[in-house]
Amino acid sequence: MDEPPKEPVKYIDAEVRLPYHYVAGDYRARYLRALKDKKILGSKCAATGKVFVMPVIASPESFATCDTWVELAGRGTITTFCVVNIPVIGRDLEIPYVAASVALDGADVSMFALIQECPPADVRMGMRVEAVWKPDGERRGDHEDILYFRPTGEPDAPFESFSHRL
Amino acid sequence: MSLRNVAVVGFAQLPVVARDEHRMSTEMLYPVVREALERVGVTRDAIDYQVSASADYLDGRPFGFVAALDVMGSWPPRQDLHLEMDGSFAAYYAWLKIQTGEVDTAIVCAHGKTSEGEPERVLNLQLDPYYQAPLGLTPTATAALQASAYQARTGATDADFAAVAARNRAAGARNPDNQVRESASADALQRTPWVIEPLRRGYLSPVGESASCLVLAAEGKAEQLCQRPAWIHGVDHRTELQSIGARDLSRSAGAARAAEKAFEMAGIGSARDVDLVELLATNPAEELIVCEALGVNARATAPVVNPSGGALCAHPVMSTGLIRLGEVFRQLSGQAGERTVPGARRAVAHASQGHCLQQNVVWVLGTERRWA
Amino acid sequence: MKRPVAVVGVGQTHHKARRADVSIPGLVREAVDRALADAGLRHEDIDAVVVGKAPDMLEGVMQPEQFLAGALGAHLKPLLRVHTAGSVGASTAITAMTHVASGLYDRVLAVAFEKQSEGNAMWALSPNLPFTPPLVAGAGGFFAPYCRAYIARTGCPPHIGPVTAASARDNAGRNEYAHLREPMTVDDVMNSPVLWDPIRYLETCPSSDGAIALVVANEDAARKGPRKPAWIKGAASYAEGMWVPGRDQVSPRAGKVCARHVYDQAGITNPWKEIHTAEIYVPFAWFEAMWLENLGFCDEAEGWKLVDRGEVKFGAHLPINPSGGVLCTNPIGASGMIRLGEAALQVMGRAGAHQVEGAKTALGHAYGGGAQYFAMWVVGSER
Repeated sequence: MDEPPKEPVKYIDAEVRLPYHYVAGDYRARYLRALKDKKILGSKCAATGKVFVMPVIASPESFATCDTWVELAGRGTITTFCVVNIPVIGRDLEIPYVAASVALDGADVSMFALIQECPPADVRMGMRVEAVWKPDGERRGDHEDILYFRPTGEPDAPFESFSHRL
Repeated sequence: MSLRNVAVVGFAQLPVVARDEHRMSTEMLYPVVREALERVGVTRDAIDYQVSASADYLDGRPFGFVAALDVMGSWPPRQDLHLEMDGSFAAYYAWLKIQTGEVDTAIVCAHGKTSEGEPERVLNLQLDPYYQAPLGLTPTATAALQASAYQARTGATDADFAAVAARNRAAGARNPDNQVRESASADALQRTPWVIEPLRRGYLSPVGESASCLVLAAEGKAEQLCQRPAWIHGVDHRTELQSIGARDLSRSAGAARAAEKAFEMAGIGSARDVDLVELLATNPAEELIVCEALGVNARATAPVVNPSGGALCAHPVMSTGLIRLGEVFRQLSGQAGERTVPGARRAVAHASQGHCLQQNVVWVLGTERRWA
Repeated sequence: MKRPVAVVGVGQTHHKARRADVSIPGLVREAVDRALADAGLRHEDIDAVVVGKAPDMLEGVMQPEQFLAGALGAHLKPLLRVHTAGSVGASTAITAMTHVASGLYDRVLAVAFEKQSEGNAMWALSPNLPFTPPLVAGAGGFFAPYCRAYIARTGCPPHIGPVTAASARDNAGRNEYAHLREPMTVDDVMNSPVLWDPIRYLETCPSSDGAIALVVANEDAARKGPRKPAWIKGAASYAEGMWVPGRDQVSPRAGKVCARHVYDQAGITNPWKEIHTAEIYVPFAWFEAMWLENLGFCDEAEGWKLVDRGEVKFGAHLPINPSGGVLCTNPIGASGMIRLGEAALQVMGRAGAHQVEGAKTALGHAYGGGAQYFAMWVVGSER
C-alpha cells in the first residue's frame, strides 16, 4: 500500500473460521449408532427409573447416574409444536414445516423433531406420531437416520395424558 | 477489616488428558461434582450457591455452559451464576457472595475441552479485532513477546528458562493428575526446538482438558465438612490493559497489585511469609514474572513454587486456575501425597488469564482462621 | 439486605439496528460515560467493573471485556465477565450489587452490551449443538411451541400477543433510547407474517446494537451522590436444568422461586398491589401474559386477561415495560440490564416521557436459556 486511504477506514471485514473436532461422548455415540439399526435408545435414572432420550449420563432431576439403557418404540405424542416459516441454516426443508416436541412412549422427557407427511394446518397437540427412517442401507448412525415423524392415524392422546410434560 | 472466615473444604478434578474421547465437556464435569460433594459428605441440597466457569469459544458453541446446569444438580432451581472466565475467578465471586452473608456454602465448577478446537487459533480471537487480532498473533506469539521483554530487562537466559521448566517437570512427575508426568532435565528441555523464540517446545504447556469442582464454606459450616479446611486469608484480582504496546510486558503490574492487596488482607508482608506458591504460568517467563510480582525469589528454596508441576505439566483451560487453588487445599489439608510440602501452613494460589498475564488473581490461604 | 446497595447512575446508548458510527469500545463508552456523568463520578471513583454480554460469537471476539479493559477504565481494577445467556444483563447488575453488599467495594460499574450487527446473530442464536439435528432458526423457533402450549392451557385468545406488541411500541414512542419506536396497531401485528406459528414478525424482538451501564454504591456513597438513588430491596439469580422430566417451560419453577426470593427480601406479599411498574423480559409478545403469571402478579391462566383488560399498559394499574421492553430494543447482552436499569430510573423519577407517575417500587426481570436462567431485582425510592 503506497498511499493512505482517502476516506477514513470505517469497516474491517474479518471472516472467522475455526475448525472444531467435537467429542460426541460414549452416550451420544451409542445413541447415534443405534439409529442405524432403527433403534431409539434412552438411559434410565438409577434413582427414579425415569428415562431420558437422547440419553444422558446423569439425571438433571435426581443427580443420580443413568447407566441403564432402554429401547424405545419410536412412537409418541406431540405435546406442542410450531409451524416454521423461516429456513433453518444448514438444512434444506420445504417451508412451512412443523417442529414439534414429541413425548416418546416410555420416555420421561420429550425430543424436538420434524413432522412431515401431514399438512401443517392439520398438526395438533396430542397427535400420535411415529418415526420414519431412512431406508435400509442408507442409514449411517447419525441423527439424519430418523428422517422425521409422521402421524400414525391413532386417535389423539387425551390432553391430561401429556399436559404435565412439554 | 474483619471478614467472614471462609475455607476451601473440598476439591475434585479429573486427571488431565490430551483428549477425553469418551465424554463431552459437561459429562466430564458430572463425576467431579459428585466426588467433591462426597468428599465433604453432603448432598447437593446442602450447597447454597453454584458458580460455573467456561468459555463459549473454547466449547466451540454458543451457550455451551447451559448444559452444565444439568450435571451440577440444578434441581430444584439453584442460585447460580456463570462467568466466562477461568475457575479461579469464579471461586473469587463465590467467596464474595459468601461475604455478603446471604449464603454459607458454594460449589465452583470449571469445564472445557481444549482439544476440540485449536487453541492457538481460538485464543487469537481474544485480541482486539481492529489492530491486534488481524496480525494473527497467537497466545504463544504474544507470550514470546513478553518473554523477550523479560529477557531484555533482566538478562534472563535460555538456560534460566530451562531451569524453571525442569523444576516444574520434576515436581510434576509426583502428581498423578498431570498430563505430563515425566521429569526432564534442563539440558533436554533446552534442546527442544523453538516454537517461537525465545520459547521452546519444552517450555510450553501441553494442550489438555479436565473438569474440576471446588467447595467453599463459611466458618460454622466449614468445620462440619472438612477436618482440615484451607482458610482463605486474603484474595484480590486485577486486570491490566490488553494492548501489547500499552504496558511493560516484562512485569505484571496486575499480579503485583493483586498480591499487594491480598497480602494486606491476609496480614502478611510478602510471599516469603508462606510455605508454598501455586501459580498459573504457561511458560517459564510468565513464572519468573509472576514470582517477581509476588515477591518470590524463583531461585530460592522457599517458598516452594509449583509443587504440583504447575501449568507446564497440565493446562486444562478454564480449570487450570481452579486447580491451583485445589492444589493449595490439598497441601494444607494433608492430601497432597508424594508432592506434599512438609509442614506447610500458609500458601499462595495464583491464576491468570488473557494474553501476557492480563488478568491475575492472588489468594492467600492457611491452616488457621485469619480473623478471630 | 444486610448492607444497603443503591443504583446511583444509569447510562445507555441510543439503541439501533446497526451503530455504524461507533466501534465496540465507542458503543460501550457511550453508556459508561453517561452512567458516570449521571452518578457525578469519574473512573477513579469506581472500585471494580463487571461486564456482561451474551455469546462472544455475536461479535466474533472472545472475552471482549479483555480488550475493552482500557475503555472501561478498568486498568488495575478487578474485572469480571458474566455470561448467563439472555438474562446476562440482569445477572451482571446483580453481580455488581453483590460486590457492594459484601462490604468490600464502595462503588462498582456494571456494563452490558451487544454489537450484534457485526456478526451473524441468527447463526449465533440458533441452537445448533454438535450431534443434534438443526431444526429451527432463531430463538423464536425454540420458544414458539411453549407459547402455543400457554395458549392451549389458558384459552388465551389470538389478539393478546398483538395487543402486547402494539402496546410495547406505544411505550417505546416515549423512550428516546428505544430501537423500534414507530407506532403500530393490533391489526398491523395480526397482519404481519407468521414466523414460527404462533409467533408473528411484529411480535418478535429486533436485533439491536446497544449498551447500558449502571453504577451501584453503598449507602454512604449513595447519600453523597447528586441524585436520589434507587435502593435495591431484593435481588437474586437462579437457574434450573433443561431436561428435568415434567419441567414446565411455560411457567418455569426457577422463575417462581427467584421471584419469591426477591419479594421476600423486599417485603412484598402482594406484587400486583405493591409493585407500581415492572420491566420484564418479553422477547416474543406472548411472554408478557406468561410472565405476569410466573411472577405472581395474578393466578395461573389469568395473565392474558390482565393484558386484555388493558391493566398493564402505560397509564393503567401496573404498566409493564414502559420503556418498550425487549420487543422494541434487544441488544441481547444488554437487554437484562436495561430492564433492571429502567426499573431503577422509574423509582428515581427519571424516566422522562415514559415515567410512571408515582412509581416508588419497581421490578426488573430477565430470563435466559431454554427459560432456565432468571435474574431479577426490586428497587424502591426509599431506603
